[in-house]
Amino acid sequence: MRKVLKSVSFFIFLCLTASLFLIGPALAGGEFKLEDMSDMSDFDPNNFQNPTGDTFKIGVLQIFSGPGAGNGELFWITTCWVAHDINKRGGIMIDGKKKLIEVIKGDTMGKPATTKKAAEKLVLEDKVDVLWGTSGSHLALVIQGVADRYKKIFHQSLSMSDSLMDEKNFNKYTFQTMWSTNQVGETTAYFYSQRKKEKKFYIICQDYLFGHSLAESFKKGLTKYYPEAEVVGEDYHPLFAKDFAPYLTKAKASGAEVIFTGDWLPDGGNLVKQARQLGVNVPFANIFIDEPNALSAIGPEGTKGLVNLNQYMGDANNEKGMAFGNKWKELWETKWEAPYNTLLYKWPGGTIGYAVETTYWMLDVFNRAGSSDPEKVIKVWEGDVYKGIGGNRLEMRACDHVVIRDTYATEYVYPNPWFTELSSGTEVFTIPAEKSMPVDGARCK
Amino acid sequence: MNKFVRNLIMWVVFLAVAGAAPHVLGIVKTNVLVELATFALFAVSLNLLLSFTGVLSFGHALFYGVGAYTTALLLYHVEGFPLIPALLLSGLAAGLAGLILSPLLVRVTGTAFAMLTLAFGQLMYILCLKFREVTGGEDGVAGYDIPPLNIPGVASLDMLDSTVFYYFTVVVCVIGIMIMWFFTKTPLGQVVVGIRDNSLRVDYLGYRVRHTKAIIFALSGFFAGIAGSLFALFQGVVSTDGVLHVMVSFYPIMAILIGGIGTFFGPILGSGILIVLEDMIMRYTERAELVTGLLFIIVVLYVPGGFVWLWMGLVARFKARKLRMSKEVEA
Amino acid sequence: MSPVTAMYVAQAIHGLTYGMLLFLVASGLTLIFGMMGILNLAHASFFMLSAYFCYQVVAWTDSFWIALILAPIGTGLVGIIVERFLLRKVQKLGLGHIGDLLLTLGIALVISEAVKTIWGTESHQVLIPPSLQGLVTVAGLEYPIYRLFIIGLSLVILGALAFILFKTRLGMIIRAAVSDRDMVSALGINMPRVFMFVFGVGTLMAGVAGVAAAPMLTVFPGLADQIGLDAFVVVVVGGFGSLLGAVVVSLFLGELNSFGIQFIPRLAPVLVFLFMALVLSFKPMGFFGERDE
Repeated sequence: MRKVLKSVSFFIFLCLTASLFLIGPALAGGEFKLEDMSDMSDFDPNNFQNPTGDTFKIGVLQIFSGPGAGNGELFWITTCWVAHDINKRGGIMIDGKKKLIEVIKGDTMGKPATTKKAAEKLVLEDKVDVLWGTSGSHLALVIQGVADRYKKIFHQSLSMSDSLMDEKNFNKYTFQTMWSTNQVGETTAYFYSQRKKEKKFYIICQDYLFGHSLAESFKKGLTKYYPEAEVVGEDYHPLFAKDFAPYLTKAKASGAEVIFTGDWLPDGGNLVKQARQLGVNVPFANIFIDEPNALSAIGPEGTKGLVNLNQYMGDANNEKGMAFGNKWKELWETKWEAPYNTLLYKWPGGTIGYAVETTYWMLDVFNRAGSSDPEKVIKVWEGDVYKGIGGNRLEMRACDHVVIRDTYATEYVYPNPWFTELSSGTEVFTIPAEKSMPVDGARCK
Repeated sequence: MNKFVRNLIMWVVFLAVAGAAPHVLGIVKTNVLVELATFALFAVSLNLLLSFTGVLSFGHALFYGVGAYTTALLLYHVEGFPLIPALLLSGLAAGLAGLILSPLLVRVTGTAFAMLTLAFGQLMYILCLKFREVTGGEDGVAGYDIPPLNIPGVASLDMLDSTVFYYFTVVVCVIGIMIMWFFTKTPLGQVVVGIRDNSLRVDYLGYRVRHTKAIIFALSGFFAGIAGSLFALFQGVVSTDGVLHVMVSFYPIMAILIGGIGTFFGPILGSGILIVLEDMIMRYTERAELVTGLLFIIVVLYVPGGFVWLWMGLVARFKARKLRMSKEVEA
Repeated sequence: MSPVTAMYVAQAIHGLTYGMLLFLVASGLTLIFGMMGILNLAHASFFMLSAYFCYQVVAWTDSFWIALILAPIGTGLVGIIVERFLLRKVQKLGLGHIGDLLLTLGIALVISEAVKTIWGTESHQVLIPPSLQGLVTVAGLEYPIYRLFIIGLSLVILGALAFILFKTRLGMIIRAAVSDRDMVSALGINMPRVFMFVFGVGTLMAGVAGVAAAPMLTVFPGLADQIGLDAFVVVVVGGFGSLLGAVVVSLFLGELNSFGIQFIPRLAPVLVFLFMALVLSFKPMGFFGERDE
């Protein structure tokens, strides 16, 4: 009798194990598969054709007018790329039938009040299924409010403040796939702690909340991973500064071996350019100075030694990622017209890469939820794991809806497989996710 | 009597249209009206300064910002702070700011006044960015609860309901604008007009020019603060760029110029034009700057003084023509 | 020179460079205001426009030097057209500052849109000409040639401007018009033509600054915003219409910027506006201003 019981329980155990293997992949989440990607040769970002009829609608909230309109252009091509691909595959499964993807612009004009209006118009009039955006934490906060109020999923893909998902600001409809300032700080510190080449750091950041919190995160990261390192000075300059010379002269006199900067463009580009003009050849550790148009003006010599830290990075040694990149580049070389024909759009690296990757993820989540009902989507996306373009792992932390992922660092060299006009990264150093974690947000403690 | 009937009809029409609007237009367009009402109150408060003391402020965002931040910080830090006190305290805080600055401001006029207010506005802007521990810097203050309007024993109105909030805003703005309107009719208001026209004479008459000007600053600041408070309640987020940026000061100036200089209702019309225009731009074009820029140029060249004057000009021409025609008939 | 001394000297020269650049922008603004009574909100837009012209000329001819001549002239011509066909009409309407304000803000917006339509929203780059690249070493101090060139160029312009203003008949008329426009007009001088000239020269100088700054900065649609506000501060604090005020305050702000960053970086941006508020509270027309509107 006991023997029978034992064999039965062993059999049950076997069945359970086997079923785990069968169900496991289905539970584990989605994956970006290059072989599934449709033939994109007819993709034209200048004339994206929205499908008509009963569609799945993405509302892209960005700056589409005024001096910052370039931002909108950038994320228009990334969203349309994904939409075009998915549409050629037949769309995603929503409420039992396949729906094609429609992309609708919401012009934030970079102002909080307009952002609210644009978001509400997308939700209430255009009846979008998901909100997507935006650059600037103060604007992201406004959209989070709209998402909460009208119970709409908001894919927060571009803002980095640590506080966006804290106890006060968290709401269950918002999912952040952009890495946050704490991750940047830890990534940078960990990279230099492993390299052990430089010890003296100087911080130059933009004088606003983001710049300051980035600097704080970097200092925190250094204490955690690289206590031997020393911050020999720090400065904060106004946004859109004209003259970086006084900061650079100070940094040079401090004997710094690396300047850490969180500047985005045009400040970041001007900072490096003016440094080289002044004969300050200290390398910059940066997160946004990877824009080839700006760097090509500084040239291969001046851009050598820059260290870029990113949550997405083109890697010549990653076959999957490279294959995707080559498909993109081919279209860039042969098809696209202004404004999508400059060096910025040559490779889907950095910003373009993660915007594309996380948009694929988002649609995959909706597809698996089989519905645009926010409650169902939340259930799927919380704790979800997705394999990105290069086979990299993306995890949506359930407690505060913030992404956990490996991050990357690279030092720019010349020649490189990417550009002839400038230095760029060839060797990619991966910082494991557990070494570059976001701060614990709401419900995590 | 005739005038009374006309006014009565106008009020009935206004109330009917304003009352029906949210039920006809839907939430998005109702919210545009909320913005319009708030902005009109802000523009009229600036116009109070311009029209009744003859000075143009380039830093009116300061008062707007003080009002908005007062509301946001009160609601953020004090649990369950009631609505009306928050609104009034915000107005008072902004009015107080006006009083504090007035000893410096009353000394100057014209361009110097504009520049001095610009300097104070920018100073406030930068200070708010610097004291990010209090103001939240660029990200601003968010995540505060909007309290309901409690009328004891009658009702508790949920301010998160778009329609309810619309009615609340319209009532507050109409009351505010009416107070400013009646102010221009009071003896004190008349003294103020005197200051604009001939400050020396008013001085001789025994009124204290500087004290009277200070009252205007405080009053104008008070209503700008109320407008800012409404903004804070409406948006749910108050950030430095949203309420203290130099363009926040320029925008109501544009409303006055487009609507009609030297009139009481011009700024309200101008606010309407600007807000509706912005909404149209958001919907139909990415050439926001071209449209706005051309509007400004065209207004200045072809509708100098603003649309109210264009309207009055048309009315005058129409009357003249009618008069001429009746004369021709007589002849 | 010891490294510390070298650092201070370098900071002083940085301040001088930025101050002179600021002067090129502010002097046009102050002349236009002083003489024509126009608060030109589009002034910095001409600065930006010239940077774009510079980018375009370099792209066509591959020569920074040709751009340095053509771009400011082109900008000045646009300025003259704006004066002749828009500003003059508005001035005739007699709306005072208010009309100018609305008009020039409108012009600034239209220029911004035009620039985006022609050159796109992406940022463009202008390179330093080969002959001005690199550093010179004087007494142990290394300094980039290009920045010294900016100082030299600004001094030449300042000299030329001073010569016109103080040594020619035209200059005499302009100076007279700054203090009393009606009187000069009553003397039978063709004021509209003088106005056109002043506006053209003012925008041309902003244009020179735009070309000079282009290789140090990025040419993009938001280029105008920051320097415009700084120039405004210079004009206000220096006194409307005062060239001397523009020179002194530009240089002061340049050095305040450099040494503020060196010693009190946290407070540097607050200082500028605190300074402006203080000056205006006690000297409403600025340090060197006389005219009251």
